[in-house]
Amino acid sequence: MSKNREGRSSRLSLGSLARRPEAGSFVGLILVYALFAILGGAVFVGAPGWSSWLNIAAEVGIVALPVGLLMIAGELDISVGSVIPASQMTTAIIAGYLGLPIVLGIACGLGVGLLVGLVNGHLVTRTTIPSLIITIGTMFAVMGLTLGFAVLIAGSTSVFLVPDPVTKTILGTFLFGMFNVSILWWLVFATFVFLLLHVSPVGNWIFALGGDRDSARNAGIPTSRLTIGLYMLSGFAAALVGILQLMTYQNAQVATGQSFIFNSIMCVVIGGVLLTGGAGSVIGIVIGTATFAIVNQGIFFSGLDPNVGSVIIGVMLLAAVLSNDGFRAIALKYSTRKG
Amino acid sequence: MNALRPFLRRPEAASVISLIGVIAFYVVFGGVNLATLFGAASWVNFAANLGIVAVPVGILMIGGYIDISIGAMIPAGSMTIAILSGHYGLPISVGIAGTLALGALVGLLNGVLTTRTTVPSLIITLATLVVMQGIVLSGAKLLTGAASVPLSAPDWAKAAFGSLIGSSHQVVIVWWLILTAVFVFVIHKTRYGNWIYAMGGDIVSARNAGVPTSRLTIALFMLSAMSAAFVGMCGAIQFNSAQVSGGMGYIFNAIVSVVVGGVLLTGGFGSVVGIFFGTMTFAIVSQGIYFTDIDRNWSNLIIGVTLLLAVAMNESFRKLALSSGSGKRRRGGANGAAPAE
Repeated sequence: MSKNREGRSSRLSLGSLARRPEAGSFVGLILVYALFAILGGAVFVGAPGWSSWLNIAAEVGIVALPVGLLMIAGELDISVGSVIPASQMTTAIIAGYLGLPIVLGIACGLGVGLLVGLVNGHLVTRTTIPSLIITIGTMFAVMGLTLGFAVLIAGSTSVFLVPDPVTKTILGTFLFGMFNVSILWWLVFATFVFLLLHVSPVGNWIFALGGDRDSARNAGIPTSRLTIGLYMLSGFAAALVGILQLMTYQNAQVATGQSFIFNSIMCVVIGGVLLTGGAGSVIGIVIGTATFAIVNQGIFFSGLDPNVGSVIIGVMLLAAVLSNDGFRAIALKYSTRKG
Repeated sequence: MNALRPFLRRPEAASVISLIGVIAFYVVFGGVNLATLFGAASWVNFAANLGIVAVPVGILMIGGYIDISIGAMIPAGSMTIAILSGHYGLPISVGIAGTLALGALVGLLNGVLTTRTTVPSLIITLATLVVMQGIVLSGAKLLTGAASVPLSAPDWAKAAFGSLIGSSHQVVIVWWLILTAVFVFVIHKTRYGNWIYAMGGDIVSARNAGVPTSRLTIALFMLSAMSAAFVGMCGAIQFNSAQVSGGMGYIFNAIVSVVVGGVLLTGGFGSVVGIFFGTMTFAIVSQGIYFTDIDRNWSNLIIGVTLLLAVAMNESFRKLALSSGSGKRRRGGANGAAPAE
């Protein structure tokens, strides 16, 4: 399926635009934004509205990017939901409760994410157990370790940390009083993942891995190292979100982050990546994340019951997968003839 | 080892070992009193509620699909009966019928979407999960003006769905045992069971062999959504009020119980008895920890480790089961079902 995205981009036609994986997601984004612009009025279209949904998009977006890469490679990562509290609790205990340097705390917090990713990657590549099951297992384990150690060391399920001004500015401030600095981190990370997937050779490896693992290995792609690397990237991203939250709200909680599991998958799927692997794009994931965040926050500006937002997101999800089914059928029809 | 072989080849072998292992762990490291543990109602009640959902979810998984919309169907069932029979005062039988009908409808939608498209069932049921969550919460507020709806059931319904046996054991335990027994019979003794194993092993071959795979898939999805609605309904009748929260935990709990019970996520392998033991294992780990000296904060760690160990055991036992057969095989396939007979 990765064949579709190569080669034929030089000629711009309506057909090639519609064939792009993110075309449907972009139409969805425009429709959703128009809907909430009408319902929410000037406040939603202005800076308060933008900051409201961008702040949400940045947090879930940083997790959704590597989760999307894993899904393109044909794997899932459920453990992100417990890495977020694990990393922020680690940082808060080291730098807040124990009073050690904040750099050490952040390094250890990110290290927790990388370590969980390393364990996930090894378990996924060394066994034939599906990644959904493995990462559910590590999710429960990390959740238990976080709660157990937080109570054991700090004696509480919530630990405070007051960051120094420099750290606060880099990781937890609000620009113009409303835009969280995590939005910038999201954009930086999205650029990095874009280059990784669409410019570097690693990107082709990821598509090949999701398309057909055995053929990819036979073609000389280091599939195990690549899978482990992707899991470490998603562990790192989840840890980064945990630390950004900690620096913003100055408080680590053991029971945060569960909503990120399904929210990140939803952003990725709305962005046109299917679980079956081998297809998808970073632009699509960013569009999907923005769409999700606009619905999630726009609903509060619209005067509708906030729970209606869930219905809209669910319907968008169905529309996205169903139209993807259609788009993919068209794409395959025009690009290859099935034997 | 040779004497153990026939046992280890069975799909439920790892779940029985996990159950014994967890109890042994609690006895050795937690100083648990076995008489107190087995006399306690808390984990049995927990297991029964979880088990009624886990059995159909596990059978669906044997058939090659996954259903996470159960997380929304439990509160949906609870809310439906409370709105119909509590808020609008309709007879309880109408409320029960309406609740099961809603489950059937959502299951039908899941099944039709899964069979008509190439989209994985995880994504389809994720969408229906979110949609149903929104509909239940906003619908309840719209119809009743409150997030909590009271319900008072007549005596017969209370006795059948929401009473306590011997002052602490919920009557749903009886439903759990009946449903498990019925499914053991259907899955392992009738042709429908063979169809499900065949479909989970290789859907194309199953269809070519004449198995009505689409109708079977839709029926299995309807079964799991109705079971989830049933659990929610029993809770509402028991506690005289609908609870809109608390369904989400069932998603991962049910998957863990099923997988610890020896069902292969990719389909074609597993047993109802295994799911039963897997559910008991999960319930004892998460609720039995209150009877030990171990700090309950560690229970999730024990669940995670138990899951990974049980799955690793399943893997090696399955290899053992297949090693005596012909050739190498990545999935259990129809061969995997054979030892269960």
